[in-house]
Parts: sequence; structure tokens; C-alpha cells
Amino acid sequence: MKRLCAFTLLLASWSAVAGEFVDLRRATAIRGDAVAGAAKVAVCVACHGPDGNAVVPAFPALAGQHAGYLYQSLDGFRRRADPASPMTSQVQNLSDADLRDIAAYFASRRRTPPAVETTGDSPGARLFREGDPSRGIAPCQGCHGPAAQGHPLRAGMARYDYYPALAAQQPDYLAARLRHYRDGGPGDTSNALVMRGVARYLDDAAIAELAAWLAATPR
Amino acid sequence: MPSQSFARAALPLAVLMVLSAGSRADSGSGVDMEFGNALLTRTGGANETPDARGMSWLRPGQRRSPGGHLYSCPLEPPTLQEISGWDVDARVQLGWIGTYGDDDNALWNRYVRWDSGLVLGLLELALRRPADGSYASVRASHLSSDDAFFEAAFGRAGSYAVQAFLRELPNATSDSAISIWNGVGSNELTLLPSLAPGASSSGQVAATAAGVAPQRLQVVRSKTGLGFDAYLTPRWTAYAKLSNEQRSGARPFGGAFFYNFLFPENAGALETLRPVEDSTLNFNGGLRFIGARWRMDFAYDGSFYRDAYRRFRFESPFALTPTRPGATSATIYQGQFALEPDNDYHNVRSSFTRRLPWNGELSVSAAAGRMSQDDGLIAPIDCSGTFGVDIDGSGVPSTTNRFLHNCSDWNTTASLSRDSADLRIDTYSLDSRVTLQPSSRLNLRGGVRFNREDYRNTYLAYNPLTGDYGYITENGAQASIQAGALGTWNPLTSPSVITRVRSLPLDRETHAADIGADWRLAERRTLGLSLTTQRNEPTHRERRRVVEDSAKLSFVDRSLDWLTLRASYTRLDQHGDRYVSNPYGSAYSTSLPGFVAPGGGVPAFTVDAMRKYDLADRREHKLDLMATVAPADDMTLSAGLRGDWNDYGALIGRQAYDRTGFHLQWEWQPSPLTHASVHYGADRARLRMANVADVVFGPDGSLGGPDYPLNARWWAYDKQRNRTAGATLDHRFGPVRVDAGWNLVDARGLTSYRFDSPVALAYFEDGLGGARSGSFPLMRYRVDSLTLGLSFALSPRFSLRVFDYYERGRVDDWHYLGLDTNRVIDHRVYSDGGPRGYTTNLIGVLLDVRL
Repeated sequence: MKRLCAFTLLLASWSAVAGEFVDLRRATAIRGDAVAGAAKVAVCVACHGPDGNAVVPAFPALAGQHAGYLYQSLDGFRRRADPASPMTSQVQNLSDADLRDIAAYFASRRRTPPAVETTGDSPGARLFREGDPSRGIAPCQGCHGPAAQGHPLRAGMARYDYYPALAAQQPDYLAARLRHYRDGGPGDTSNALVMRGVARYLDDAAIAELAAWLAATPR
Repeated sequence: MPSQSFARAALPLAVLMVLSAGSRADSGSGVDMEFGNALLTRTGGANETPDARGMSWLRPGQRRSPGGHLYSCPLEPPTLQEISGWDVDARVQLGWIGTYGDDDNALWNRYVRWDSGLVLGLLELALRRPADGSYASVRASHLSSDDAFFEAAFGRAGSYAVQAFLRELPNATSDSAISIWNGVGSNELTLLPSLAPGASSSGQVAATAAGVAPQRLQVVRSKTGLGFDAYLTPRWTAYAKLSNEQRSGARPFGGAFFYNFLFPENAGALETLRPVEDSTLNFNGGLRFIGARWRMDFAYDGSFYRDAYRRFRFESPFALTPTRPGATSATIYQGQFALEPDNDYHNVRSSFTRRLPWNGELSVSAAAGRMSQDDGLIAPIDCSGTFGVDIDGSGVPSTTNRFLHNCSDWNTTASLSRDSADLRIDTYSLDSRVTLQPSSRLNLRGGVRFNREDYRNTYLAYNPLTGDYGYITENGAQASIQAGALGTWNPLTSPSVITRVRSLPLDRETHAADIGADWRLAERRTLGLSLTTQRNEPTHRERRRVVEDSAKLSFVDRSLDWLTLRASYTRLDQHGDRYVSNPYGSAYSTSLPGFVAPGGGVPAFTVDAMRKYDLADRREHKLDLMATVAPADDMTLSAGLRGDWNDYGALIGRQAYDRTGFHLQWEWQPSPLTHASVHYGADRARLRMANVADVVFGPDGSLGGPDYPLNARWWAYDKQRNRTAGATLDHRFGPVRVDAGWNLVDARGLTSYRFDSPVALAYFEDGLGGARSGSFPLMRYRVDSLTLGLSFALSPRFSLRVFDYYERGRVDDWHYLGLDTNRVIDHRVYSDGGPRGYTTNLIGVLLDVRL
């Protein structure tokens, strides 16, 4: 175990040198107080909707999202402190405990079902399930689960709590995130590096098909 | 000269590459193996930084193989430079090496040639154009003029790939060859001027040999190759690969002028130095289809061997003396060998594989081939004048001087039954396999296989000039010592001689079938059973049918995260129809019309009780146990135990062959900065053989009969013991990397014997001073090596490596005892002094530059 610790420390030191890189491969479970979090989300729900069910297609739905993923996303806004991001000012005065509580709160909310549910055999569904080997596109279900509910081993391994559930997510938000990864967006976490590689060969049409199908898939 | 051949080969290769550039191919299999050399494998690179990020972003820590072993930490990827749309990675390693000690030793120079001086350790250049997937790469190394490689590839991913290479690989065949001949390396050995062919004494030959400086012999393999793959459609691929290997050099060989052991101060046994000047051209090409349900492959393989020489000639220095009192031997001294014939090999094959329900697959492969050679034949003997024994002193063969023969009757191709070999072997094979998975817990598999080899044509050794059948033995030396012992059969002059007259076709047919199942007992626990039967039907062998039945039970358990356990047990039974001791009658003069049985009858070919081990009844038990333990995430401990016990149903012949062994290995990778390992392995083999001497050349082949009496039996017991051990440590202190390694190979063999009585001995009746048992001296081969290296990362682009490689070899081989002081013993000449121990040190300084 000492050796494992040494290895982790080494990675941590390497991350610091590389510039705030976060290695999520040994990430631990996020514990937060959902009740306390409820009192801290007044600003959040203005954009992300009541209980985190966003109405505006460009804003992500947060309800029912995994706490690990939510916490890491919030921490990322704070860590990057990107002046162009509207989230930077929202998180800069929050403590780590606040982030954990907010993550726990939204994770405990129920996601609103899609208005129109998926047909199950759309191009986006096939891409999600099977990928497209001829274009070098890996199947999404390998990490996000067969029904886009998250990684199937999430319950037993904390690192998979940092992989988001994609079902019933806002389509414009999904498309924007995939384009972001494809076009070389921030690679400051190990999971972001995974997504960079996965999204590299997605064209706009494929992204649109995936986003449409995921948005219509019940959470 | 090898360096010139390296340069000569480069030009046509470059032309071929240019011609191929317009072709379309994919990035499929290569034309040859990945090239390396002793510098890369023994001393490592200067700038190899482990990547602290590990192997995958998906999971932490180091990954393990399916067998439970840790994969090595990957190296940091290169930082690519972009030049006109190409990503470029270039690296060159230049330096100096020096060798000290016994650096001319042949064992030290096996498959390597170290020359002290400047070396190109490695040049690597890789270009990639992300826009369209185009790529090109060059890789080269140059240790010496005889030890270098160059490989290049270019192509476009998913479209085509072209690969080409040149390689020079030397191998020392002797470090102490003393030649009493001129012309070493050619196919014509002529005695040094101080020796008279066919008229020199042992003392004269020894004196000449003593005045000759030892020389080094080697064979250099120069291989060039070119290959391309074309992605015709996403499903169809065409591929073609062409390579040519030329071998050039010399090695110790033989030279027979009859038995000196039987005839002291007479005859001649010569270790000549034969040339190696040949080449093999290989071609492989075909079409491959990969569909959703079907896979198909249509391929052709061709191999063409060419030898620069048809024969090898040498002169014997020794005078021959007839056993018949008052007679004289003809002065013959010219010996010869037919060298390997030019031959062609063609093979066409096709295979079809189709998916089946139950996640199954059915595949059928068929192939047909032809091996042929039609080299011009050489005359049976290479003398001039006469050979044989002159009994009347006239020097002229006649009816009264009948043991003297005219060379002109045998030294011409007119004395052959045909001018060329005209031989070929046709091969056919059919192979079918099926796999099914009727449930997630059960895998089923089975297959049938058929192979056939047909020998076309045979050669009958017949001399139309004399009417003789068979071959002249030992360059005519036997006939020049033993009057009349020409080695041939003649219906008029020697109707009772038993001698080989015909080539032996070894046609064979094999039928095999197997079925098996793997049953998943639990999530990560599998039990497997395989049943196999194989029926071999050889011709002109002691059995017409040999059946081999085997059952194998295997168990794999990976249910515990920290343990991988594998075990298997195999039982094999080999049996067959009636064993016939002499199936070779058709190849001997006894089969010819006009053969007259000798007075005592036709001698038995061998003892009836003899069982050759490849056809004998055999019962084999084989056990393998392997455990891989992960005491921690960064550590692996593995152990293996194996045994293979064979009992042969043979009173005479091989009786038992047992092998047992074990290994232990510990490996530790606490971080990307540190790697350590220790391993130890030992195995032993025991071989028991029994035989019996033929005290009389009689017709009774029974064991215990007058020809093979029980008291002529002897037994040999061969014990072999091998040990291997090693330890490595590799650690990085900031910019400095330290690596050290120790390795041991230790092999020992001891052959002991016993016999019932002195008649069991071939030559030295009771020559062992009354003893009935004993052993040959211990055979030993041991090599210890130590490596110590330091690598300094001077800057991101420059690194320096300094290393020392020490190797010590110890060899005891009794076959060569005494040859260090005297290479000529009576009428025997040993050109090679045999393997010798050595102590060598290799020091190197290498500068690694990323361009």
C-alpha cells in the first residue's frame, strides 16, 4: 500500500507541474449534505431550473446527475477561473464543503422525463451502442452504460461516479460539450483526456444525432 | 566485402521502393520481423523515460496481462515537431564501444560482430501527416561492417503500406580454424605446398598444421526485403512480400577417406572447411477478404534456394595402404561432396471462415504444394588415373588385376543413370475447424485435419559404363584399402554385395481429429477437456500405421484478484501396427534381380527388438502447474512446476525420457522510476537407452540369438541439468538513471554407460581395463554476465549513456580434448579447436539526441 501511495504522490506532483491537472483514476466518493445543499442552490436554479431540471436547452440539467461528476465540474470552474465563463463568478466564493453539498443536493433530485421519448433505433442510438469502427468512433455505452444512466460499475468503484449520466440531458448542451472535446477543449482532468480521444472523429452530424437521442432517453 | 554487398543491395532496393510508391496498400503485416541487434538488446537505450501517467486514463495503476503479470510502464511519447503539415520525430544514438579480453571468441561472437570504434546505435525517423494519415519511417543501426540493419516504411493508413529492409547478421563458426589447405571460403581446397596430396605422413601434416596461424571463420547473412499491402476496398486486401537472404562464409565440415579408427596409420578422416555461398528467395502474396459473416484468404508462397556451388572439392594429404600383403594402393587424394541442390517450393492455399449461430465459427483450409529439385548430378568420384588396389604391380586394371579400377569409368557423368536429379515432393492438406458457444458457460470446439506427402520419382544409382549399381564409398578410399570393396553391386562381379542403390521415398499421410470443451464453472474459473487422435501412415518405415491418442485436462482459476492458477494434465498413448525391423529392402541391392545371397545368408538389417523412438509404443504423462500471485498492486510473484514423463515400449532403443523443472520469478514496479526483478529456474532431463552390438553379420536378428547375443547389450544414461538465474534493477535518481543486471545460464550434461561384456564394445574389446560401466567426462556450458549502466538526461534533447557489459563463458566439451595442442592425430585432421571459454568486457558511451 505504501507503494501505491508513492505512485499516487508521484502523479500528484506530476499533475502540479503540468498545471492543475486532476487525475480522477483514484478519485474517492463525494460525501455531501443534500439538505444543507438545498439552501445553497438559490442562484443555481435560476439557470438550471427547479431541482436542477433546466428548461433552457443550452444549460445542462443537473437533477439526478452523479455527485462525483457534479463536484468535479464545479471544482473545475473554480480551478480554471476562466473569466469568459459565467460559472467562474458563481463558484469563486464557495468552499469545498459547499461544492460537495450542492453536488449531493442535485444528485438527490429526480430528472424530469423527456417530452418525447426515444424510438430506440435512431442513428444516434446505434452510434451510442455500437460506435462506428469505420470512422474510429468508440461506442459510448462502454463508459456511460447501455441506457446512458452512467457507468454500470459506479456503485462499487468511486471513480466511475465521475462519469456522467447522459440520459435526458439538454441536447444543445450535449452537442456543445462534444464539440468542445472534439475541438481540443480543456484537458485538465483524466476524464477530459478520455473524451478528447473519443470525440476526435465525431462530425457535427454525428454529434447532433447523439444529442437528440440522448435527450429523448429517459433518466 | 560484406559491407560492399550491403551497399550493392541498397540500390535495387531503392529502385524497388520507388516503383512501389504508386501502389495502394494498407498498414497490415510486415515483411519481416522487427530488427534489433546485440547492442539494443543487451545494453538498452540512453533516453527511455517512463511515462508517469501510466497505461490508461480509464483505470489507475499498472495493468496486468491475462496471466497476471505486470505490464511494463510505458515510455513517454515523443514530442513531435510539425514541419509542413508533417509531425516529425527523429532520434539518433551515436557513440563509441570498446571490447576487451577474449573478444575474438566464437561464442562471444554468436550472431554479433563487435568492432571497437564508433557505432551508430540507432537512428529513428518517423513522420506522420494527420491530414490524410500518411506516414514514413526509417530505422537503422550499424555496429560493424557485418552487423547492421536498415528498415524503412511509408504508406497511408487505410490505403497502402510499403516496407523495405536490409540486414547484415554475422555468426562466427570458428575462432581457431587451422587450415592445411589453401582456398578456404571457396569450393576448391588444395593442400598447402608443404604437403604432397595422397603421399604425406601424419608427422608431415602435423608439422604443417603447427605452422599455420589460427583463423576466424564466419557466415554472414545478408537479407533484403520488400513488402506492400493494398487496401483495395474496406473488405478486400492484397498483399505481397519478397525477401532474399544471401549467406556467405565458411564453416567446419567433413572429408571422408575411410575409417582411421579401424585402420591405424591408414585411411583419412578430415575436418575440411566448406564454403557457404547460397541464397533463398521467398515470396508470399495473396488476397484477403473480411466480411461480417465470411472471411477468406487466397495465398501463394514460393521459396527458391540457390547454391553458388554444385560441389565442394578437397585434397587428402594421406597415403593409403592396402590390407592385402604385397599389393599397393592407387594414389588417390581428391575428395568431393555434392553441395545442397538448388530447389523450388510452391504452395497455394485458400481458407474460408463463416460465422455460425451460437457465436460459432466454421473454417476450412485447403493447400497444395510442390517441392522440386532438378540439379545436374556430379560424377560418383573425382579421381584421375586409377583407384583401388594394384595386386600385380602393373598399375593397369585388368581381369587379373581386378581390384584396380579406371577412374574414367566413374569420374564422368556418363557413369550416372541420368544427368539430373528430377525429384519432387507433392503435398496436400485439408484442415477444418468449428467452434460453438451454446451457452455463456460452455465453449465447444473440434476439428479434422488431413496431410499427405507424395514423393515423385526415385533415383537408381546405376553405372551404364560398368554395369554396377550403388555408390563408390568414401571417394574410392575403401576400395584402395580393402581390395574389391568398391561399395557397389554388380550381377557378374559382385552379386552378393549388400549396398544401397536407390533413393528412399518417404511418402506419408496423416489424419487427425480433435474435440474439446471449456466449461466455465464460475465467473473466473474454467475447466477444459481436449481429446485428440492422430493416425500417421508412413511408407518405407518400420510401421505402416502409428496412432497417437491424447487427452488433456486443464483448469484455470482467476476467481481471487491476487491469484491466477493454471494447471493441466495430458496423457498420451502412441501405438501402431506390426513393427518391421527392415522396411528398406527396396533401396538395397538385395531387391535387384540377380542378387545372390551370401553364403551365411543375408545379414539382419538390425536387431528385431530395436524400436525407433518416433514410431515406438509410448506412454506420456505431462503435468503443468503455474501460479501467479500479486502480493501487492506493484508486485508479482510467479512459480511454475512442470513434468513430462515418457515410457517407451522398447527393449532396444530409447526406453525413457523424463523432464522436470520449476521456475520462480519476482517482479516489483513500485513506481515508474523503479523496476526490479529476480528469477531462478532449473530443469533436468533423463534419457535412458539400450542397445546391443552385432557380434556376427548373420541373418538372425533376434535378441539373444547368435548375431545379437544378450551379453553384447549396453545401456546409456544421459543426465542433463540446466539452471538459469538473473536479477535486474533499474532506478532513476532525478536526471540520472542507473540500471544493473546479472544473468546466469548453466547447463551440464553427463552420459554414463554400462555393458554386459567386452563384446558390446565396437572397437576396444575390454579396452576399459575390466570395468563394465563408466561415464564420459562432464559436459558443461556456463555463461555469467553483468551489466551496469548510467544514463544522464543532459537536457530534453540530449542524454548520455555509459555502460559496461561483462561476460564470462566456461565450456567443458570432451569431444575436443587435446586439440588445443595437436590438431593432427594419426590420419585424422581437426581444423576446428572447438568451443572455448572466454572473458570479455564491453564498454560503451552513447549520446542520444532528439533532432
